[in-house]
Amino acid sequence: MVPKHVLDGYRVLDFTQYLAGPAATNLMVQLGAEVIKLEIGPHGEPVRNFPYCRAGRSGYFIQQNRGKKSVCLDPKHPQGLDIIKRLLKHSDVFIENFAPGVIGRLGLGWEEVRKINPNLIMCSISAFGQEGPLASHPGFDYIAQAYAAVSDLIGEPDRAPSMPMLAFGDVGTGVHALTAVGYALLDRERNGAGGQWLDISLLDSYFHYHEVSVQAYSASGGRIEPRRSGSHHYAVGPSGIFKAREGHLMILALLHQWPILCRAMGREDLIEDPRFRDNDARMAHREAMIALIEDWLQSLPSDAAALALLEEARIPCAPILSVPEAMAHPHLIERRTVRTIEDRLLGKLQIPGMPLRFSKYEVDENIQAPLLGEHNAEVLKRLLLCPAEQVWDWERRKVLFAKPV
Amino acid sequence: MQPQHIMEGYRVLDFTQFLAGPTTTRLMAEMGAEVIKVELAPAGDPTHLLPHRRAGRSGYYIQQNRGKKSVCVDIRNPKGLALIKELVRSCDVLLENFSPGAIGRLGLGWEVVHALNPELIMCSVSAFGQTGPLSSLPGFDYIAMAVSGVMDMIGDPDQPPYFPMLGIGDVSAGVHALAAINAALLYRYKTGRGQYIDISLLDAYFHSHEINVQAYSGSKGKIQPRRSGHHHYAAAPLGLFHCRDGYLFMVVMARQWGPLCKAMGRDDLADNPNYDTNLKRVERRAEIVAIIEDWLRDYDRDDALRILQDMHVPVAPVLSVPEAMEHPHLIERQVVRTIQDRGYGELQIPGIPLRFSEFPEPLDLQAPYLGEHNREVMTKFGGVTAQEVAALEAEGVLHTQPLPEGVATVAGL
Repeated sequence: MVPKHVLDGYRVLDFTQYLAGPAATNLMVQLGAEVIKLEIGPHGEPVRNFPYCRAGRSGYFIQQNRGKKSVCLDPKHPQGLDIIKRLLKHSDVFIENFAPGVIGRLGLGWEEVRKINPNLIMCSISAFGQEGPLASHPGFDYIAQAYAAVSDLIGEPDRAPSMPMLAFGDVGTGVHALTAVGYALLDRERNGAGGQWLDISLLDSYFHYHEVSVQAYSASGGRIEPRRSGSHHYAVGPSGIFKAREGHLMILALLHQWPILCRAMGREDLIEDPRFRDNDARMAHREAMIALIEDWLQSLPSDAAALALLEEARIPCAPILSVPEAMAHPHLIERRTVRTIEDRLLGKLQIPGMPLRFSKYEVDENIQAPLLGEHNAEVLKRLLLCPAEQVWDWERRKVLFAKPV
Repeated sequence: MQPQHIMEGYRVLDFTQFLAGPTTTRLMAEMGAEVIKVELAPAGDPTHLLPHRRAGRSGYYIQQNRGKKSVCVDIRNPKGLALIKELVRSCDVLLENFSPGAIGRLGLGWEVVHALNPELIMCSVSAFGQTGPLSSLPGFDYIAMAVSGVMDMIGDPDQPPYFPMLGIGDVSAGVHALAAINAALLYRYKTGRGQYIDISLLDAYFHSHEINVQAYSGSKGKIQPRRSGHHHYAAAPLGLFHCRDGYLFMVVMARQWGPLCKAMGRDDLADNPNYDTNLKRVERRAEIVAIIEDWLRDYDRDDALRILQDMHVPVAPVLSVPEAMEHPHLIERQVVRTIQDRGYGELQIPGIPLRFSEFPEPLDLQAPYLGEHNREVMTKFGGVTAQEVAALEAEGVLHTQPLPEGVATVAGL
């Protein structure tokens, strides 16, 4: 039988909420895995109420949870805990993102679950990791971002740092988790290894993004002090955000591209100008360099004309698009980097596209985000051989929960 | 035999340079894969010249290329191309991050390498992807960041946007590529089939929009995502607060509003009907920020931090890079780690972000010198003898940087 996608046949018990964990299992679903989302009754995943909401549905929830099956239960009820343990026997992956220690107190820590299923891959996602001085502190994306010295590198040097209005830490951590789970599965299949426990954190993922700062500070014995530097890079240039006639443009003309930029500006005289001859000189005369480029941009009839000239010269450049502009850009639409999905209740909704593109597979756009407890009966019947009457009884006794449509 | 790590036995032909691609293959080397880095003769990866440099070595290059083998080849020379094609036959994965189309023009496009080795997984990493109107434009991290609507979301609303002084998009695209290749390897393990993977920085950045895209779309434009400086536009208090000597970041959701008021000695605010929902707090954000900063004015950052932590308010000091590198938590978990390069000496770099219980110890890895493994790799997998390698070096098809005195070569795994 031809698999429908690369993770076809794997079953994931997903005890995550909010963003980092659900981002990992969101990708697993789109890679063909069966994801059973465990939600805690009676209300389930907290983001079911996150904006934007319409027809009782949250666009936020839909974006992260399409294609998952929802089983909603009370994990503190002995019967609810027993259901989870029985589902673990039928799962390849168990993923959770509670604060460290919580899953153990629920009776589902690594030592416990590995006894239930020695081939299980368990992945724990947290803000700071499972041990260490900060492990027990509560954390969200921006908290780990601040500890990872990422926030400190955003904004004007003489003012408070600025915060990005999106959670690349949570989503990035979800991708790290996906990767670790996938390689642990590969280890199990190919090397005959059993299960193992994965410790993924936002702090690790954020700190992993430091491509220059850590080694440069370390190796220079502190002489290179990484600092935020507003709209222009502190170490290389021209590299930054330039005021153009209508809006702002991002321009990167590093090393060999400086003379090309000078020619594109019709200013060949600048190529040999000692103030701008190499990167060090340009950094020493940064303000003058920025003024020259911005004067040139102002002299052009439009930003589009500036981009056309720069693109013609193959200088890396871009308009700084707003989210609505990006969503309307023909490139993002053609590649379905932004895509339109259809929720059963909410209707049409645009969400980011699938970032992992395989030559063998189309993305299945017909998957639906589940209603709370929608798959209680289906999952328990198929995997645990529970009759429908048993499921109804458990729903009545508040072991299981389902929200009627 | 118990493998040293998960990817032991996989061989990766690594045509990448700069950051996004090398991130992927660096993590593969950390997981035990044999990574053969193909560097273009004579200069190799341009990052050999990036700061900080010492003893002819770049800390930047070392961080991204530990554990890889370096072959330095003139692939425009037919003999060089023939060697590479021979290597393609014995590799499991081929990774490249040239501009779209360049690898095809070099004679190593997907159709060619797929025919040479049907089990091969090929992954291309680019700024905008292999197709679409922007695909042919040159791009770096920040260029894709600008087009993705991410840069526009950073900074003060009435000022130009900012960009972060680190390569979030490159590293993140590298991890996306690692995840996709892994899934393709699992699939190949079961079916024996290779495939092609298209990863882009634009996709990876756009993928990070957790709220903005669906909220703009779902509200039919009523919610306009905008950068909003130091405080989030949709939740409060959620942002950056001034203390006497620095900044604290706080994320206060519904459950933490009471504890925050208690920490400030302002129990009266917890039940104040002006502030009892997130919506009201967002509407009165300026008042709330003023109350909190009035309280913080008398505290040093780290003292306020302890008070808030005791109340379990999600809070962090905004650490500088040096402060983070000295933080006991980052040191204990080796989020920052110290490595020894053969030529460069001691260097601190970020730790490995994937932690496996079966493989708690990191592998002992060295970054290669340019062309250091020409002879080893080409005699093993390139179908030539040691004498032929020497002749190819003399001809300039292969380029080998001599090892400095006292530096020993690193044998293969």
